[in-house]
Amino acid sequence: MSQRTDVLLWAQRMLALTSAPPHQLLELKIDATIEQAQDAFHKIARTSHPDIHRSGLTPEELESVTLAYSRVAGAYQDFRSQRMQTSRMRPIKDATPIPIPGVTAAKPTSAPGAARPPGGQLPTLSPTGTPTSAGGGASGSMNSKALIYYRKAELALRRGDLKGALLQMKMAIAGDPQSAFLRSALTEIEAELANPK
Amino acid sequence: MQILGACRYNFEMSVALGIVVGTTNSVAAIATPTGVEFILGPRGERVHPSVVAFPSSGGVVVGADAKRYRLTEPHHVIHSAKRFIGQNIRAPLVQLAMTGVRYRVEEGPNQQPIVVVRDRRMTMPEISSNVLLHLKRCAERQLGTPIKDAVVTVPANFTDGQRQATKEAGRLAGLDVMRLINEPTAAALAYGFGRDRQQVICVFDFGGGTFDVSILRLNGEVFEVLASEGDFFLGGDDLDRALGEVLAAECNRILRVDPRPHAALMMKLMMGAEAIKMHLSENDAAEGEIDGLDMPGAQGSRLPFQITRKQFEDLIAGYVNRTCEVTKQVLLTAGIDARSVSEILCVGGSTRIPLVRQRIAEVFRKEPNTKINPDEVVAQGAAIQAGSLVGNLSAGTGMGARDAVATTAHSMLGGGGNVVLPQQQAKRPILMDVNPATLAIQTAGGFTERLLDKNSPIPIERTRVFTTSRDNQTRVEIDCCRGEARRYTENEPLGTLVLDDLPAKPRGDLKIEVSFRVDADGILHVRASDQTTGVRQEAHLQVLGAPSAEDMPG
Repeated sequence: MSQRTDVLLWAQRMLALTSAPPHQLLELKIDATIEQAQDAFHKIARTSHPDIHRSGLTPEELESVTLAYSRVAGAYQDFRSQRMQTSRMRPIKDATPIPIPGVTAAKPTSAPGAARPPGGQLPTLSPTGTPTSAGGGASGSMNSKALIYYRKAELALRRGDLKGALLQMKMAIAGDPQSAFLRSALTEIEAELANPK
Repeated sequence: MQILGACRYNFEMSVALGIVVGTTNSVAAIATPTGVEFILGPRGERVHPSVVAFPSSGGVVVGADAKRYRLTEPHHVIHSAKRFIGQNIRAPLVQLAMTGVRYRVEEGPNQQPIVVVRDRRMTMPEISSNVLLHLKRCAERQLGTPIKDAVVTVPANFTDGQRQATKEAGRLAGLDVMRLINEPTAAALAYGFGRDRQQVICVFDFGGGTFDVSILRLNGEVFEVLASEGDFFLGGDDLDRALGEVLAAECNRILRVDPRPHAALMMKLMMGAEAIKMHLSENDAAEGEIDGLDMPGAQGSRLPFQITRKQFEDLIAGYVNRTCEVTKQVLLTAGIDARSVSEILCVGGSTRIPLVRQRIAEVFRKEPNTKINPDEVVAQGAAIQAGSLVGNLSAGTGMGARDAVATTAHSMLGGGGNVVLPQQQAKRPILMDVNPATLAIQTAGGFTERLLDKNSPIPIERTRVFTTSRDNQTRVEIDCCRGEARRYTENEPLGTLVLDDLPAKPRGDLKIEVSFRVDADGILHVRASDQTTGVRQEAHLQVLGAPSAEDMPG
């Protein structure tokens, strides 16, 4: 019986955390690594995955466990993608999520799960206007060769291998010499190499 | 645990089928206390062709028997229905697939493909439900018990619409589809269930119609998919067609008749191509003739052929290269080095081709595991998941299934679950599958805002808050799409959710909360609400190409 109570209490706790940052839903410290997050998520799944409670709970209870698990999965994904993003800029640990100040953004306090205010606005009835550029998308405009090396550089950074990342990034630039994005990423790595924390 | 009886394996109460509905073949199985038992066809066959025939003599014929009508009545034999199910008929690849079949496909309501046989019009889920019903009946005959619950597998790259349509097919066949699971994940489950290992594996699933490759981390009973990629229109059928075209050209050259307008002839050539392909997997050359090619004005009815393995490999190299590119891509996405993959599972009939195996070995610098039976391993995984969901897995199931995976030994159990072993409750496997595509909504200026990334674990829910872009805007349309492109129009539209009767406010004042939830079946549910008034509109997206809303239960 305690298994049932445990999972219901957990679900209640998670559903109450409406605007918490990802690490809180995973019950991790803010500076946890990707590996720790993975372990935490696996641990949660072992006790709270909705599939293992199919027979023990009422449909409503199962629904709330499923919702809680789904939100934690969302937090896990957010945590991972944040880590990959920050690791691009700072391979050394620093996990403060980057809030993007938005001019037309909703107030951050009101948004459940809105670690980031909206980057865009809702479409109007007839969205008009031709967008001028695709913005600073990382992979949008890169050719496939540059993209492959850029990804490899990312992988190297996640391993903490700065020198490897530097080499891969240079290869990426050779693949796409025009890309300002790649050059700025290279500068970041070089800066990181020059004064390690 | 407090009820002792509930732990005992109860055959009558908890039988759930694991079903693979393939492009060319279907397999069904159930978990038993000692392994996995396959559902046999009328002639004792484990593999049931996914073919539905509507012969002139009347009735519906499914499976091996239906395949026989391919020569006599090619227009009345529906095969490869999986290529159309849940698809938008206007999609270019679907149009291309239509050129490869001899039956009539037309546009039906909601842009879904409709099969027309004589005066009958049938949706793709209806066609598919015939195959499922056939399997269900075979299972009921074999096990002597009615069957309701099932787990059905789908290719990892199946879209929302394809998944909905597959569930619909199950419903039409009188099955309660408890879960859709991805084929590569099912294969990994069959391989790893009960092993209790820590390892990273790759599942390379190259079947008759689709190609998928997944990287998984096995952590005890947890099966986490790290990344999955695929190509929906890439499979053995394409290889057959490549060879079939060569045979057609030969036919034109030697017999002086172009066979392409003749459906029955082309079918014969394609079947010949398939046989040659299989022969070349075992031999260095194929030589012989295809007979029975009766055409008006032809110089004979026999087409001699002589093809070496090398020639065939040159013909299919482009397709095989594509699978390798996708594999390299998925490794990058998963953040896994090829050398740290400890096992590569080959799934799907096309992995029997030596060139495919050779190229996989080049990518991983390691020989792939070819000891598993590619056609059956996915069904075993589905059966294990089905057993797990109804709660009757035992440790023996895993061991038995694994032996079967490792040895492809014949006939696990002849006639049912009457072998009684000491029961040991197995740890239930926990599957963490992934969302196959990036899901986003359209924002001002025609751009997209991502709500769920590709390769996110499912079930998952993510919520974002948006706002209005004009003063006194009382209505917003939330256009949902699938794809990675920044521009909305470059993605695949999924459907639109409308929030109406919003209070008139200056732009930017309204807070509209949009939630994307992908359930464990990989099906998207979108919810939107206005936080200021609490106006809540929830809708299941009507996906183009999927069965229409009134057909869906609930």
